[in-house]
Amino acid sequence: MVREPTAVRWLLRIVVCAYVFLLVLWPVSLVVAHTFENGLASLQETLADPEVQNALLLTAQVAGIAVVINLVFGVTTSILLVRYEFPGKRALSAMIDVPLSVSPVVVGLALVLVYNGQDGWLGRAAESAGYYVIYDTPGMIMATCFVALPLVIREVVPVLTEVGDDQEQAARSLGANGPQTFWRITLPSIKWAVVYGVVLSLARSLGEYGAVRVVSGNITGETQTATLVVQEKYLDFAQDTAYATSFLLATASVLCIVVVSLLRPKESST
Amino acid sequence: MSIDITGVNKLFGDFVALEDVNVSIPTGQLTALLGPSGGGKSTLLRIIAGLDTADTGTISIEGTDATKLPPQKRNVGFVFQHYAVFKHMTVAKNVAFGLEIRKKSKKEIAHRVDELLKLVHLSQFAHRLPSQLSGGQRQRMALARALAVEPTVLLLDEPFGALDAKVRKELREWLRRLHDEVNVTTVFVTHDQEEALEVADEIVVINDGRVEQIGSPDELYDEPANDFVMGFLGEVTSLNGNLIRPHDVDVTTAPTLAGAVQGEISRMLRIGFEVRVTVLTDDGQEVQVTMTRTHARALGLEEGQHVWLTAATGATTVPTMAAV
Amino acid sequence: MTSALATPVDRPARTRRPVVGTSTLTRGSGLALGIAMTWFSLLVLIPLAAIVATTAAGGWEQFWRIVTNDQTLAALRLTVGSALGVTALNVFMGTAIAWVLVRDRFWGKRILDVAIDIPFALPTIVAGLVLLALYGKGSPLGLEWANTEMSVRLALAFVTLPFIVRTVQPVLEELEHDVEEAAASLGAGRMTIFRRIILPSLVPAIAAGAALSFARAISEYGSLVLLSGNLPFKTEVVSVRVLSFIEGGNTAAAAALATVMLIVALVVIVAVDVISRRVARRG
Ligand SMILES: Nc1ncnc2c1ncn2[C@@H]1O[C@H](COP(=O)(O)OP(=O)(O)OP(=O)(O)O)[C@@H](O)[C@H]1O
Ligand SMILES: [Mg+2]
Repeated sequence: MVREPTAVRWLLRIVVCAYVFLLVLWPVSLVVAHTFENGLASLQETLADPEVQNALLLTAQVAGIAVVINLVFGVTTSILLVRYEFPGKRALSAMIDVPLSVSPVVVGLALVLVYNGQDGWLGRAAESAGYYVIYDTPGMIMATCFVALPLVIREVVPVLTEVGDDQEQAARSLGANGPQTFWRITLPSIKWAVVYGVVLSLARSLGEYGAVRVVSGNITGETQTATLVVQEKYLDFAQDTAYATSFLLATASVLCIVVVSLLRPKESST
Repeated sequence: MSIDITGVNKLFGDFVALEDVNVSIPTGQLTALLGPSGGGKSTLLRIIAGLDTADTGTISIEGTDATKLPPQKRNVGFVFQHYAVFKHMTVAKNVAFGLEIRKKSKKEIAHRVDELLKLVHLSQFAHRLPSQLSGGQRQRMALARALAVEPTVLLLDEPFGALDAKVRKELREWLRRLHDEVNVTTVFVTHDQEEALEVADEIVVINDGRVEQIGSPDELYDEPANDFVMGFLGEVTSLNGNLIRPHDVDVTTAPTLAGAVQGEISRMLRIGFEVRVTVLTDDGQEVQVTMTRTHARALGLEEGQHVWLTAATGATTVPTMAAV
Repeated sequence: MTSALATPVDRPARTRRPVVGTSTLTRGSGLALGIAMTWFSLLVLIPLAAIVATTAAGGWEQFWRIVTNDQTLAALRLTVGSALGVTALNVFMGTAIAWVLVRDRFWGKRILDVAIDIPFALPTIVAGLVLLALYGKGSPLGLEWANTEMSVRLALAFVTLPFIVRTVQPVLEELEHDVEEAAASLGAGRMTIFRRIILPSLVPAIAAGAALSFARAISEYGSLVLLSGNLPFKTEVVSVRVLSFIEGGNTAAAAALATVMLIVALVVIVAVDVISRRVARRG
């Protein structure tokens, strides 16, 4: 086996480890250390703060609904893109990735322009029918959906393509109808990709800040999510609360990755 | 001698892949490394090429000690089972690679590439990418690439292993002719005894990390050193405690010869011109015998009949392990 | 000559697939497509169109005035400059990290692997806070980068860390060892093998990762809120500028600047699409 000289290997290894340590591991560990400076006190205090409680609850609610919507939309769209032909498919498949490249602030602005109650294209009609979108939970859900939209699709499409449609056709030939084929053949074969996509979406949804800030109006105790609380507390010099809330969010998201790396079937162990 | 391998041992962890291997490979010949899967053939070939290093022992190529040389400096051509094509380069670029490394002039490279592509009959595909070639064509390209640098030795690791049976048979004949044309010392790995017997000048039989026998195809077939070599080179059956080839068993319908083994035909199977007879001997052993259809008919053999078996005169026999 | 040597190449097998443009939708899938497209339009297409429409309604002159305003230009310069710089850094570091993850073995490699995903999973506002802990006031390293231009580069380097690593890594894993061995036995040294054999296979992945990294960098907002101080002419990036337009009630200006960002994003997406298509054709 051809290998680079030991000196080069060590150099690369050291540079890479130092870079990741300085950029990610050390700063993250500092936040953890800050949180537990006074033992569990600051964490308990933070969890007792009604503002934080409301925010965590709202975050869970918004992220949960957004993930479910993205899951259904993502799986449906993936199947349509891989298994069917229709005019405009190329364009749709390219457009799906757009949300990854749009600034969260722009996402918020775009939603406000359309759904605000005063002069929004659709917002006026919605509001006169009694639905409030902007400065309310639906708007925050939409913003969260927007930013996490492609994540499920990006995971599922390659797997669906790879698996091919032989098994589905076999199932059809054995008399299975559409839903039966989906539940018994298609879904099991893309299961891990869907799980992976969902976990990524969840991490992204829990952490969304910019877009939610624009559409929520950031009303304390009402439309304030956990990330907004972090910012407010930090600027209000309640740094302990900010760090503790950050720790909670970071733990949730890091748990997500750990779960993913445990779930993900190992293709090759090097 | 072109390649001298002396006292080579190789361990992977505590698994013995090669054990005290001593082989000399003659210049200008086509040598086959033959043996069952996992026997250590690839490992030996890779050690010759410098892609793996032996734990102990020496390798010398054309008289110079190559034991410590990196693969780049050994001037060997290596052809891999799965072609190892450079995907992003055209066929011509692939072949030119080694020459460019050696800083040959543009003109010289173009000329040599042309020549080689002609040799392997790929001239019209010079500007294609490897992904646009069939498996057999890719392998011929890999061969041209290895030959381009005029290697001292050409090493091929199951070069036709990934191809279907028909293409494989054709390419092996073609390899033989190619070798006669360019005359470079060639070592190729195979686990197909027919391939080795048909193509090679010399065969090295390797099993379980050990060299079992070295010799010409005829020597190996006619004078196998042990029961493993005998069994690996063709079908065998056991008669009277000896391994013997099924077509070397004489059948008579009356006890004319002393020492003949008596038995009863339990099964007869005809395949084309050949008849396979299974005889259950009186001491309870099954012996396989093959003969031509004509011969079987002349003897009037049929199932249930009593027969007497002897080894034909001049037959190759080797004592079985059990009898030793 | 034997027949096999003379036969023309077998073409790569084609998948049976109808001509693009025709439809194979059934009634059920047609309905599903309709619902999905409606949602996608309501969520993404119409709102993005509203931004462009608002900009267009303001007219070219207004657009030009907003975009060429000194403070805005400074923000654009800072954003695009930092994004380019950080992406260039990622091209080297990302490839190196992927390399180490695939080819090296050492204790703690698994931690390194997980660490790469942290910036993607971490809420951006928390990312800012995290970086502040090491590079803010009272930095244990003595690097008080908060509220300086360095803080922008730092935040962008943090949030874009995974992109190139995660696009290059699988390609590197797929590379076959025997190709490198073939090159070595033909006389190529380690550097030549890297430059002529490995790098060409990685370039498409590096390019795709770089495009993602650049797109993310120019649109970054959350991690900068606490870290950069948002000082006009100094550490204010385009997203922050858009937000201050929104909060100041100047929707027209916000939309104009957002349009510029959308155009840049669009260019990046088209580039990625072209690249991945080229890769697919080669594979
Ligand atoms: N890199 C390695 N690490 C550990 N064991 C190895 C390695 N390479 C080969 N081996 C072991 O060494 C033995 C010999 O392998 P080798 O590849 O030489 O066999 P072979 O004769 O070429 O077989 P085949 O015909 O299947 O290719 C095998 O049992 C294999 O498992
Ligand atoms: Mg082998």
